[in-house]
Amino acid sequence: MATILLEVATPDKGEVYAKDINMLITRSICGELGILPKHANLLTELIPHAMRIKEGSGEVKLFISGGFMEVTPEKITILADAAEVPDDIDVDRARAAYKRAEERLAKKDSDIDIDRAEAALARAKARLLVKGVPMP
Amino acid sequence: MANLQHIRRRIKSVKNIQKITNAMDMIARSRFNAAREALLSNVPYVAKTKEIMRRVMGQMRGREYEHPFIKTRADLIAEQQEGAGKFLFIVIASDKGLAGSFSSNVFKAAHDTIEYDGTGESSSLDDDGDDENFHRKNFDALKGIKPAGKRTPKQQRQMSATGGMARATARRDSGGTSSGTASEVREYHDADYVDGIELITVGRKATTHFKQRGYNIIKSYHGISERPQYKYAKEITDLVMERFASGEIIDVTLIYTQFKSAISCIPDDVTLLPIVTDDYAKSSANLKEEYIYEPDVVSILNDFMPRRIATRIYGAMLHSAASELSSRMNAMSNATDNAQELVGRLNLFYNKVRQAGITNEINEIVGGANALE
Repeated sequence: MATILLEVATPDKGEVYAKDINMLITRSICGELGILPKHANLLTELIPHAMRIKEGSGEVKLFISGGFMEVTPEKITILADAAEVPDDIDVDRARAAYKRAEERLAKKDSDIDIDRAEAALARAKARLLVKGVPMP
Repeated sequence: MANLQHIRRRIKSVKNIQKITNAMDMIARSRFNAAREALLSNVPYVAKTKEIMRRVMGQMRGREYEHPFIKTRADLIAEQQEGAGKFLFIVIASDKGLAGSFSSNVFKAAHDTIEYDGTGESSSLDDDGDDENFHRKNFDALKGIKPAGKRTPKQQRQMSATGGMARATARRDSGGTSSGTASEVREYHDADYVDGIELITVGRKATTHFKQRGYNIIKSYHGISERPQYKYAKEITDLVMERFASGEIIDVTLIYTQFKSAISCIPDDVTLLPIVTDDYAKSSANLKEEYIYEPDVVSILNDFMPRRIATRIYGAMLHSAASELSSRMNAMSNATDNAQELVGRLNLFYNKVRQAGITNEINEIVGGANALE
């Protein structure tokens, strides 16, 4: 089976993921994207989500908190603000962040930053999804 | 004759200093390890951002996208002829001293860059194929069309080297009562020259240094030099982008210390803005296929550019932190060694003096006994 090299880098943790994979399913600001080997050159921005990586027969999830993705036929490079494998995710913290963001949004006060709360909610959701825990 | 007690006291104080320098050495050492870790984890990200930037810019070349941050060199020159804007420099140094020549090296490099007049020898890093180190290239293209009336940067440099700037500024502040001598005229031009420059400083040392010389510091960051955080890099980026977008600033250059190894840290300067497409000629030639941009070039660039700049600033901060701590480590372990040597010498001296005293006493006793016989 054809493979493509996936590299995920963050400013603080260096290369989080670097492996030959079969398929990447990711979400850009324009919608969901499936990347297979020999994809055309592409540059796009990613939103916070749980990225799905297909390698061999299995599938791995990786949390991405937004960033940029560059695709060339041989290589996918993802520059993320933060990226976490399931083992690195702190479930309690993600749950707490989820609740906090939901409460903020539910209040609908004018003095809260809706964009920020929504982004925080999206991040918390994606983290829980990667970890495979149900939403609180 | 030297007093034994005095020598003892000196030995004690040198030993105390040695204890302090030794402690500082160890602190710097452990912080340095953390800083180097942080730097190493940042390197792949910076390299990848740069790679992508290079490919995108290679493709931009020759096609005129209307983007305020991207210019061809011809545009840049035309803009200068119309009437120059200001130059913005970001100087990253340390908060604390006791790091050998770390800060003064940065300042020397900063003055060389800020006052660059196209004649100085080029920086050691200019020829490593780095397409993005082009402050000097821009300057070389622009020199000769600088508005008349400004003093040449070279004179400026000579003057600041002799401390003339500092004195001139101090005198101006004290009311400017001196008569119209030649130096008075020069002071006027200094103000003129400094007016065209804005600075952002990171580190208390940098702030004091440039404030003393009368530069216009628009923002300074203190207390973050040893442990930089991405959010500060982001803040600086936002400020820089805003200033640049307003049109008042036409060139943004970053001056920091590049960490090469624990014994070699070299001050370096890079241009952040504008991004000049001519400098990407090489990568453009290598480019075969075009990119698909989602949603489109302009919005991708709008989002990608600040990230690229913030990444570079953050990377520079990390480099600077590692350099600072390794300089401090070296300075402090040297100081400890020197103190050790000094203690040794003082001990020898102490024993000599003591022995001389004993010999003297014996002589006196023998002399006294002889006299009695």
